[in-house]
Amino acid sequence: MARHLNRWLILALVVVLVGLSMANKSYLNQVAITTMIFIVLTASLNYVTGTAGLLSLGHAAFFGVGAYAAALLSTKAGWSFWFTLPAAGVITAAIGIVVALPTMRLVSIYFAVATLGIGEMLYVTMLNWVGLTRGPMGIRSIPAIELPGAKALGLSSTEVSMLAVALVMLASLWAMHRLSHSFYGNSLRALREDDACADAMGIDIARLKLEAFAVSCFFAGIAGALFAHTTGYISPESFRFGESILVLSMAVIGGLGSLYGSVIGAVVLSVLPEALRELGSFRMIVVGLVLFLSILFLPRGLLGEVSALDLVRRQLRRAPAAGGRRRW
Amino acid sequence: MNGLSKLLSLAALAWGFAAPALAQTPITIGYQLPLTGTQSQYGEVFRNSAVMQLEKLNAAGGVGGRKVEILFEDSKSDPKEAVAIARKFVDDKRIIAVLGDFASGPSMAAGEVYGKEGMAQLSQTASHPDFLKVSNWQFRNITTQAQEGPFNARWMHGAGIKTVAVIGLQNDWGLSATGEFAKEFEKLGGKVVATELFNPGTRDFRAILTKVSQRKPEAVYLAMFYEEGALMLQQARQLSLAARIHSASPFYAPKLVELAGPAANGVFISSTFVAESTAPNVKAFVEEYKKRYGSEPNQFAAQAFDAVGIMFEAIKRAGPNATRAQMRDALAATADYPGVTGTTTFDKQSREPAKVLSRMEIQAGKFVVLR
Amino acid sequence: MDATVFLQQLVNGLSIGLVYALVAIGFTLIFGVLNVVNFAHGEVFTVGAFGGLLVITMLAPPLWVVLLLVLLIGGFSGFALERLAFRPFRRFADEASLKSKAMREATLLSSLAVSIIVRELLELKFSGEMQTIPQSFLLQSPIALGPVLITDGNLVIFGSSALMLGALQYILFRTRVGMAIRAVSNNVLGAQFVGIDTNRTIIATFVVGSLMGGIAGIMVGLYQGAIFPHMGFEPGIKAFVAMVMGGLSSPGGAVICALIIGVSETFATQFVSDGWKALVSYGFLLLTLWFFPSGIFATRKEKM
Repeated sequence: MARHLNRWLILALVVVLVGLSMANKSYLNQVAITTMIFIVLTASLNYVTGTAGLLSLGHAAFFGVGAYAAALLSTKAGWSFWFTLPAAGVITAAIGIVVALPTMRLVSIYFAVATLGIGEMLYVTMLNWVGLTRGPMGIRSIPAIELPGAKALGLSSTEVSMLAVALVMLASLWAMHRLSHSFYGNSLRALREDDACADAMGIDIARLKLEAFAVSCFFAGIAGALFAHTTGYISPESFRFGESILVLSMAVIGGLGSLYGSVIGAVVLSVLPEALRELGSFRMIVVGLVLFLSILFLPRGLLGEVSALDLVRRQLRRAPAAGGRRRW
Repeated sequence: MNGLSKLLSLAALAWGFAAPALAQTPITIGYQLPLTGTQSQYGEVFRNSAVMQLEKLNAAGGVGGRKVEILFEDSKSDPKEAVAIARKFVDDKRIIAVLGDFASGPSMAAGEVYGKEGMAQLSQTASHPDFLKVSNWQFRNITTQAQEGPFNARWMHGAGIKTVAVIGLQNDWGLSATGEFAKEFEKLGGKVVATELFNPGTRDFRAILTKVSQRKPEAVYLAMFYEEGALMLQQARQLSLAARIHSASPFYAPKLVELAGPAANGVFISSTFVAESTAPNVKAFVEEYKKRYGSEPNQFAAQAFDAVGIMFEAIKRAGPNATRAQMRDALAATADYPGVTGTTTFDKQSREPAKVLSRMEIQAGKFVVLR
Repeated sequence: MDATVFLQQLVNGLSIGLVYALVAIGFTLIFGVLNVVNFAHGEVFTVGAFGGLLVITMLAPPLWVVLLLVLLIGGFSGFALERLAFRPFRRFADEASLKSKAMREATLLSSLAVSIIVRELLELKFSGEMQTIPQSFLLQSPIALGPVLITDGNLVIFGSSALMLGALQYILFRTRVGMAIRAVSNNVLGAQFVGIDTNRTIIATFVVGSLMGGIAGIMVGLYQGAIFPHMGFEPGIKAFVAMVMGGLSSPGGAVICALIIGVSETFATQFVSDGWKALVSYGFLLLTLWFFPSGIFATRKEKM
């Protein structure tokens, strides 16, 4: 089933993208772009929080680091998108490793608070190191993504961006999928379920944590680069704690631990506020309600992985909750 | 049956005449502003002013017999949403020009879209120094800090003040406000003894005030908006800060006095909008605003009122069937527009607005113009 | 830097720290018992402030009456919050479910959702701007303590935190409800076995924690002169940080860490600049966690 799901989702994506191009509305393209960027970001958070079990509350800051890296490299050094993209990923991963090193001994909530602190520190740096980032002035006129031969095909710039973003997104999701659905991925899950036990089994948990964090930051940086090149202007206000919470909500709604879940969660929370524009001031209330109702009726998310709960139940020889999804 | 069929045919005839008039599509302007979120108080007054101007225009027959309508979209002052709205507006073929956004971040992000796709954008408050450089399609009617900073510097220098401490908000407005002021003040021979910038969202300024008062400045220049300004004034009073306090046009708001109480007395500000002005258009605006919305308009409401007015004048100039390019040119040709924030002209080269500033002081809870 | 400035900045730092501490007390109580991060605590804080403001503008009674009414408002909000955001997830009363990761995620998100809804509703009704507060109720009259200036608000807040901590100690150690709370926070299953009604105890925890949050809200609102829908966000984060830094187990530890955060922020402003103060205070947090991976005052070594 999972394999078929994979193919169906890709088919659905292709259909959606083609449909959007035919509709010829740059607004829909823009919404699609934003959604796909958040899919990558949510998947990267899911990798470290859902699969490896390390709750990260500062993710928006790494998103910002990637965005700034891409923006600075393209506006100051003239690099094209296809070079700034991997560079942003690598730079963000490097910074992620550096700031996460002191936190490797921490567990769950202490780690979470440390990441919150790190996120705030990065944001404050982006805002106040005016010499490097131009501070609140932001960086403008970031060049858009260019695909050779696009003009010949008659594609508009938003369509080109959309295609490029889709390509990068698919590649990122594939990479994270391969990483998490493997023996390596299982060791991450072991880390999540019980790190003392994993340690006792001989898994090098400190290195594993660092690697998980680095990979997650890499893809957050990728998402950031995509954001910079498709928005054209970035400023520190887009990378605050509130955004981290938004991404976390996307991951949880879809189901922590599930890659497909992150996709769905990101789609829901990106498309819903746009679709509800008619509601005016009631828009965010409805979004909050949807968040609440979804967590109430789908506590493991829409496509959640097997929760620790069922694992424990099996151990205690109690029947796993019948009907899997809706009860626990 | 004869009477009835006569009646019916008369009705049909009347409908036949009315239908083309009803079928006339309105001229549409887009307006992106923060209607929810932390900056919603600004978006609300913008919409208030816009509605006032709109109803006045349509009551007088619209433009070329066609009504004008404004499509409001909530950007939450979030650059991501601003870009989405910009795309939405650009896709909508009926929209010929756009107003907004409030803060520079969303305005700049949206501006990138408008610049690429060719839609004139007039912001009532975007004061980012690079805003007009994004493309040829950006306009603004707010006085820039390049004007207001030196104005205040000259005022304070002329009052014999030699040492000033500058406290500002760490956003694009605050950064340019403090920078431009300090540059001119030092050029005139004064000394800026301290510059402190604080991040948006800060509410406790005691640490900054204590630090600044150490240098014993004769005056303090506050570069921030009225909400944090009110808190700053209250805390300055609590700490017995003995310096003359100056600020800029965002301080011109009745809310400042409401929030700060007696701590606001004796503060000097520069402003383009003066509610007590005897100029007939200002009086009419203030009275109408008070009647409709129950509160006195502040600087922000006045800016929006003028921005919408300038937009409408441009529509008249370009004609009811204007294209987006024609709207851009019409806006660029704005000269001597008699606004409530003063006569506004857009510079031919840079499109920067030239405005006249007034000096004011808060006395006993009222904003008084100083001659 | 002369002594006066040092003392004044110290006092400034302590007063900011006390604001965070006020919020941290209720927050830590709820976390200590339920092991859940109550994202809506900041909103209880805000509701307390708005409730108090409404009482002031509608009835204009003396301050102590306002505080009493806010206690009721806060307690009621806590009750409602528990019902809405936390109760529906306690469908199974066994220990594994109560302490599982899934439960924690769910309640984290549900309290977040409730906080979003409450905040948006407040914004709808009152708009995002700061509310005007009648001058006579503001707790801002300066008082001189030698060379240092404080306000009556500082004294009120200091007094209330001390009172709250004292009341909490009393409730926890001298009453049956408190004993039940301690039992539930120690071992839920065990508490049930000895006949304690866990549901009622959890409700009691929320009510007590939230009425403290509500009181914190109105006091901070009157002290700072700023009451607006988003006011609970920042104190909420700082309270969370203070709680974790303090070792999660005691409100007292959280208070001390909140004071440390406040003082470090103020001295960061004095020596560096206000913009960078977050770097210093969070750097301090990371440093603390480096030396004390379970917080400064951690008692239980229980894995979370």
